[in-house]
Amino acid sequence: MSEQEYYVPHGTYWPIIGSIGVSTLFVGFANQMHGVEWGASVMVLGFAILVFMMFGWFGQVVNESTNGIYNKQVDRSFRWGMSWFIFSEVMFFAAFFGALFYARALSVPWLGGADNNIFTPDLWNAFSASWHQMAFLAPGTELQSGTVMSFPAVPESGIATATPADVVDPWGLPALNTALLLASGVTLTFAHHALRAGHRNQIVGWLVATIALGAAFLGFQVMEYGHAYHDGLKLTSGIYGSTFYMLTGFHGFHVTVGVIMLTVILYRIQKGHFNADNHFGFEGVAWYWHFVDVVWLGLFVFVYWL
Amino acid sequence: MTEVFAVIIIVAILVALGFGLVGMVKGGKAGSDRMFKSLVTRVSLSVLLFVLVMFAGYMGWITPNAVMVDAPVVQAPVQK
Repeated sequence: MSEQEYYVPHGTYWPIIGSIGVSTLFVGFANQMHGVEWGASVMVLGFAILVFMMFGWFGQVVNESTNGIYNKQVDRSFRWGMSWFIFSEVMFFAAFFGALFYARALSVPWLGGADNNIFTPDLWNAFSASWHQMAFLAPGTELQSGTVMSFPAVPESGIATATPADVVDPWGLPALNTALLLASGVTLTFAHHALRAGHRNQIVGWLVATIALGAAFLGFQVMEYGHAYHDGLKLTSGIYGSTFYMLTGFHGFHVTVGVIMLTVILYRIQKGHFNADNHFGFEGVAWYWHFVDVVWLGLFVFVYWL
Repeated sequence: MTEVFAVIIIVAILVALGFGLVGMVKGGKAGSDRMFKSLVTRVSLSVLLFVLVMFAGYMGWITPNAVMVDAPVVQAPVQK
């Protein structure tokens, strides 16, 4: 295809299949939320349609690429498309980090009486403003009736049972998970270097290591959630619980997507789809993984430490 | 002081990541080189930040957001 021509996509049925998949998924989800019996089944069906669409559509694009249909102009459009996707991702996480800063530095102190009480309505006189990873009470401490904390990690009995060490300790799983994700960034960089140098066997080894580290991160994150949830930290545990689960939950979802994408890239490398000069698919996924890694680093530093 | 260093490194990491994105969008040999170098910088700075935070925590320069509240947490009613 010449440089002057712009590639015009053929007629395709994948968009309408994607729309049907998303609609089915949402109808199922809404009904599931209302306790309708068939809700879950319809959700699964919608998800299956979406997966079918992704395999079909992405597979078609890969085939077109390997058959040499695309020219440099199409390559540029892929790169710009990826950059806008990344922009939306940055805005997405910026909103949640913004909520974290706002609640922690402004709204919770105001509710607790800061700044001359201008913003402190008589919501609840016994409100205790606190922002802690784990604002736990010593075991056995009995709360005065009616006490409300911004992070009510106290059982309904009103008698505290857990200690900080029992729940989330930044030296434990969070530090281990940070080390795992950082290591995955390093292994991915080695894979990137091997790809640019044309060493296919090395790419496969480093990519497998990256995927394994990402999967290990997810496994430990599930463990941490189980731990925190068991000890009373829930999505409904005040503003701390909400922001904690929203940030770490969406981050975990992104790691999951990243692991799937890296696995696809591994498959494509073994199929010989990339070479040292032409590997945009790898670059897009690699940048995405680095971004997810940096988001976690921000979470580790701001949520757990500073 | 540790907090200031940590924030400076985080900003530097974001800048490196941004340069990597610019390289990726640009494409070609020059863009690819720029992207790779930026991502190497990003990874190196991230490891540095992690080591700094853990060392500062170990030395007691910073404390995690985990505190033990050992008295009944009841704040006096706000006086207006």
